[in-house]
Amino acid sequence: MAEMTARVSGFFGRMPRWVYVVIALALAIAFPLLEQFGLMQTLWLRLGTRVLVYVLLAVGLNLVLGETGLLHLGYVAFFAVGAYTTAILSSPRFGIQWNFWVIVALAMGLSMLFGFLIAVPTLRLRGDYLAIVTLAFGEITRMTLNNWETLTNGPGGIPGIYPPNIFGWTVDSPLEFFYVLLVAVVIVIYLLGNVKDSRIGRAWNALREDEIAAHHSGVRPMRAKMLAVVMSSGIAGLAGAIFAYYQQFINPTYFLFMQSTIVVCMVVLGGMGSIPGAVLGAVVLDATPEVIRQAFTTWLPGAFGRDFLPGVQSALQTDFDRYRMAIFGLVIVLMVIFRPEGLLPNKLWKREVHEEDPRELEKTHQHLFDFEEGKQDLEV
Amino acid sequence: MPDVILEVRSATKSFGGLKAVNNLSFDIYEGEILSLLGPNGSGKTTTFNIITGLYEPDSGDILMQGESIAGLDPGQIYARGISRTFQMLRLFSNMSVLENVLVGMHGRTKANVLDCMFRTPKMRREEVQSVERAREILAMFPGRFPLARHMQPAASLSYANRRRLEIARALAGEPKLLLLDEPVAGMNPAESLEVMQQIKDLRDRGYTILMIEHDMKVIMGASDRVIAMDHGVKIAEGAPLDVANDPAVVEAYLGRRGADAAS
Repeated sequence: MAEMTARVSGFFGRMPRWVYVVIALALAIAFPLLEQFGLMQTLWLRLGTRVLVYVLLAVGLNLVLGETGLLHLGYVAFFAVGAYTTAILSSPRFGIQWNFWVIVALAMGLSMLFGFLIAVPTLRLRGDYLAIVTLAFGEITRMTLNNWETLTNGPGGIPGIYPPNIFGWTVDSPLEFFYVLLVAVVIVIYLLGNVKDSRIGRAWNALREDEIAAHHSGVRPMRAKMLAVVMSSGIAGLAGAIFAYYQQFINPTYFLFMQSTIVVCMVVLGGMGSIPGAVLGAVVLDATPEVIRQAFTTWLPGAFGRDFLPGVQSALQTDFDRYRMAIFGLVIVLMVIFRPEGLLPNKLWKREVHEEDPRELEKTHQHLFDFEEGKQDLEV
Repeated sequence: MPDVILEVRSATKSFGGLKAVNNLSFDIYEGEILSLLGPNGSGKTTTFNIITGLYEPDSGDILMQGESIAGLDPGQIYARGISRTFQMLRLFSNMSVLENVLVGMHGRTKANVLDCMFRTPKMRREEVQSVERAREILAMFPGRFPLARHMQPAASLSYANRRRLEIARALAGEPKLLLLDEPVAGMNPAESLEVMQQIKDLRDRGYTILMIEHDMKVIMGASDRVIAMDHGVKIAEGAPLDVANDPAVVEAYLGRRGADAAS
């Protein structure tokens, strides 16, 4: 009972939260087995692994963007710091292979330090200014990686990253990486969910809603924002480290500004300030283009014969990446029109975004009025 | 004579050439309701802002229980036991009613980020206590915040209840001194009287209150003392009726000719 009253802002609807969590976890655990039993191509398992990297990034960015309301457009920089830390310390580049745990700790630590250093000057800015300056920092990071050849080998990147050794288990197949990432995702979501549901999470939300009122309530804006930025940087660093191990090769083109944008889109698509939303946003945005490509290049031609939409098919086969961005754009536009609060919104937000519908507004007002007048009990 | 809780000593605050508050001095005594009165632009809200740390006074000093608080930031002043509400509501609209009050407790609670991550027993205990206290505070407004409303977004409340919620959030900071900026603005007469009674109840519970108000019924009915301001200067101070009939105050509101006609 005490536990129940203490949880004042559960992020799911009426069903008990654990039902959803168990379903999602069961699906995630079962997913790679489809490939094991030959029911699915390895392609999809690889996609699933990449999706989990994006899930980590989206959940991490949600802290800053969704919970605290800071539009940070240089998030990929922390991902890059984590990935390069791993690549440098576990590859033939300098012929060293440090312990997995030391590298993960360093990757997270350096990303957090980097996040802190960027936050000191930028967090004094608000809104659009913060967005522009963080965008610039993200680009500075990428340019540095591109040009600091003695350390990073510049545009050539760092190939041959050694697989990690976790307590004697060498992780080197997509299946194994999938489960490693899944464990990381579960731990991160559990810890962040707890913080979100505490005085610190409420302080972040308060800053998003009204910084002056929050300051007058004893929230220290700089400290609280700093904490959000540093924590989310650490998560990006973790994602970067596992990503580098999995990819075995990284170069600066993995860390383009577009990556930051995509993660922002995932958070917005899923529903700002909602952890399940961030997860779903990452899954939908990363998987949709691949599903569409497969549909047009394999499934539909398979069903309707080879000459099915000849132009589309060859276009998607040759330069799919261009269309990927177009699909992204289309998905976001449709979302903004039909479901602006996101796929799995934080339940309190939902009402706000649709408030402009006059009928809804009137209903709400009439309802409250009746309640004030004692005509009706308030349904909850 | 009760003790002085807050002392404003020759505080001045200018914006460009305009002296919004000019050499203002007054005391607030423990356990009283002191009202600030004056036409628009007379410096009442600026006075609030320099007391609560939103602005730093250009000169002069502000003493809370004998210690200078001029130049501290709003968070530090909150920690000294001064909470406030705002003329234009500043609620956390997308957070629930209960969460709004819980944010008001932020500076009084201690759990750090690791406690929160791992939900340590210490953190859980504090959380349960906070929720209990928040419900107690909401219950100070009888019938206005039934349990069913605690989980609703603050934005869904009626206007008068949003004003009440702001007071509740300020109370969550366990202040000694409560600053209310136009607590009944925009309310109908029945609502105003109810809030006035609630403000008097708060005084009887031991809070000291400084409020800005335009509604003469509320000022006359609730205040122990009144200070009238005009152009950033204090023009009268004393019992509500004396101030209301003070020629300088009448002149400030009605102009010289109006004042002559009124007398």
